[in-house]
Amino acid sequence: MARARGGDRKAFSELVRRHQTAVYRVCYRVLGDPEDARDAAQEAFVRCFTKLESFEGRSSFKTWMLRLAINVSLNERKARARPLPPELREPPADPSGPEDDLLRKEAAERVHRALRLLQPNHRAAVVLRDLEGMSHAEVAEVLGVPEATARSWAYRGRQRLKDLVT
Amino acid sequence: MDPRAIEELLPAYAAGELSVEEARRVEAALEGSPRLREELARYERLFVLLAAAAEQEISAPEGLQGQVARRVAIAAYLGAAANLAGDILGAYGRALVYYLGLA
Repeated sequence: MARARGGDRKAFSELVRRHQTAVYRVCYRVLGDPEDARDAAQEAFVRCFTKLESFEGRSSFKTWMLRLAINVSLNERKARARPLPPELREPPADPSGPEDDLLRKEAAERVHRALRLLQPNHRAAVVLRDLEGMSHAEVAEVLGVPEATARSWAYRGRQRLKDLVT
Repeated sequence: MDPRAIEELLPAYAAGELSVEEARRVEAALEGSPRLREELARYERLFVLLAAAAEQEISAPEGLQGQVARRVAIAAYLGAAANLAGDILGAYGRALVYYLGLA
């Protein structure tokens, strides 16, 4: 980390290697599109490199990096608003049986499509809480808001998602 | 507790996030309300779908690290060029660099 902060590009590349999956995954889940997610992840890492000197270590590097990724995804690469696919409104099959890879995949795709219709802050809170498995306190830290706000955003997002997919 | 407040607790109840006391209040309200039970069932279905989405394996695309390295190299070069222009041309150079968006 110290070498990367000093501008060592090899050391920075190692940081990218370590965190690229988490960063890409969050971008993909927020944006719902692999190409947009790839662009956003790249942009987030470039921004990270140019701002690394200002990283004070008050949060973990991963938290700081995910905040950059969320900001890039939400503010600069807004998901294209496409019409709600009709299959989103069909009753969901329960993907918890033993031979259900396909069902699981369909369920995941359906959630990703519906997520795009949520307000950006609500979408980010649901992605971090319910897909990334963070605590509400961690969600608040990544989003840079009080925990009560993060909880409220997660509540609103879950409520809308429930109306969309169930 | 008013029904609206109970309804707002339902997703957290379905996700197992409530305290014992809060969960008891929700359960008491559920007993007397088919509408709340239906809402809870919908949240439970939602969490099944979310769990399936959370399990989905998502990997960084091939070549992302290299693409970032190339863009970082360009950013570093532009930053160095901007600093050099600032040094050589002084205040006017720094203004030009700022105007061109290089720094």
